[in-house]
Amino acid sequence: MNITKKIKILLQEAKLYHSQGLLNEAMEKYNNAKKLIQSNEQLKTHQNLINGISNKILALNEDIIKIEKSPKKPEVSAKMQDLIKKMVSFSSDKNEDLKALDGAIALAKLGQIKRAISEFNELIKTDSLRVVAAKSMLRCYMALSSKDEAVAQYEQWISDHRFSTIQLDKLRVFLENILKKEGVEKKLSKRKPPKDSIDEVQTEEPEVEDEDIIDINSLGITIHRGSQKGQVVEFKTRFQLGNVVSLLISIRDKDLIDVFKVGDMIDDIQYYSTAALYKGSGTVKSIKEVKIGPLRGDYCMDIKITLNQP
Amino acid sequence: MAIFNIKKREIECKIVYYGPGRSGKTTNMEYIYKTYKKQIIGEMVSVDTEGDRTLFFDFLPMGLGQIKGFDIRVQVYTVPGQVQYSSTRKLVLKGVDGVIFVADSLVVRREKNMLSLKDLQHNLKEYGINILKIPLIMQHNKRDLAEQGIPVMSIDQMEKDLNRQLKVPSFSASAITGHGVGATLKECLKLTLLSFKKQFKSG
Repeated sequence: MNITKKIKILLQEAKLYHSQGLLNEAMEKYNNAKKLIQSNEQLKTHQNLINGISNKILALNEDIIKIEKSPKKPEVSAKMQDLIKKMVSFSSDKNEDLKALDGAIALAKLGQIKRAISEFNELIKTDSLRVVAAKSMLRCYMALSSKDEAVAQYEQWISDHRFSTIQLDKLRVFLENILKKEGVEKKLSKRKPPKDSIDEVQTEEPEVEDEDIIDINSLGITIHRGSQKGQVVEFKTRFQLGNVVSLLISIRDKDLIDVFKVGDMIDDIQYYSTAALYKGSGTVKSIKEVKIGPLRGDYCMDIKITLNQP
Repeated sequence: MAIFNIKKREIECKIVYYGPGRSGKTTNMEYIYKTYKKQIIGEMVSVDTEGDRTLFFDFLPMGLGQIKGFDIRVQVYTVPGQVQYSSTRKLVLKGVDGVIFVADSLVVRREKNMLSLKDLQHNLKEYGINILKIPLIMQHNKRDLAEQGIPVMSIDQMEKDLNRQLKVPSFSASAITGHGVGATLKECLKLTLLSFKKQFKSG
């Protein structure tokens, strides 16, 4: 195939991929075409072609930047939020309260935090869901970086007689713990027991429950080096031990493996839990190649997580 | 998991279009919305972001009429294909009854197809669903691009890549022209309803 025809095909492909939104593929074809022209200076319209392709690449870059800058989880209409609830509660094997909880959690997960707070607030009316809904609500405030509102909400619950003293103690320890993770040491007020009351007397502090160590399902890391520079790559959690999550990087993503080094501090991490999205950072504790089993050749990376680091 | 409402004599099921980003899932749904007006019982809801990328999901409610005295209602969804929306894809799959995997025929998207299918398998597994057991249809989309001289994979290649082990029904399609779109959905609905029938008989 002669050189002109090759260039023509590459440009045709690039144009189509661009129109289909396949921006990386389009970029690759434009770059291939440019290289081909640069290596053939005898082409009559050599400089014009290079200029033309450079303009196309500029336009493509603008589109890539627009997409990268667009909000990942913007607030959507109430109608769409209702649909999110409907979508996840599509099941006949759960009662209405649990479906409503699933719906509220999904809203939080998809970034509809304000609506999720209002849904959790409704769920607090249900005895069996009160504590889980209250904790989720506090997490939502933290996701909105509204520490003061989380504390104010807890203080409001102290005088709310739907909450028992034991439930309030659990919420207090839970909130103190998540505030501590944010670097805020704060002792929250307790409900004063009524005089002569022997009910619900708790002499010891409730321990931080397992559920208070947030389960991370996946995390999104902004890549600052290599071929995926600037992109947010999502990694699924393989397992989690306390505040150390273990991720798997496929050998096919070898370029990603080279991006991380043991001891690296990674900023801009988005942690996804079942209840909400948290922002934070992390430290790479280890990177090891899997030597045996079906995942042989892949890499296992452990990250010590720090949620909501200011 | 379909909802059987004996009182209302209604069965409601959920079909999800899955596949890599930009493979044509939303285009499939748009064609269905425009073409099968009789079966559409509500508005198509879509939230997209910069560059027409699906953000959360698309939704289309359909009604298939009555089968043995039961009204059959179908909620059709698409997932966002971009890699970073993994957790959203998992949410959309919750309670799914049938899946249409929209594969991109472009040679340059070969690896993305395979990764997306693996992602589907993984997400189904998280809900305790075996990919080999759920009603699943494979669609090889964008076949029309071959006529424009754009490199597309052969059907044989795509079947080897994606359907060698699954052995599910597959259709060639061009969602932009509508070719193969209806056939794909019909087959998925047929398999899904047959699967309900089997579930009823066995339990």
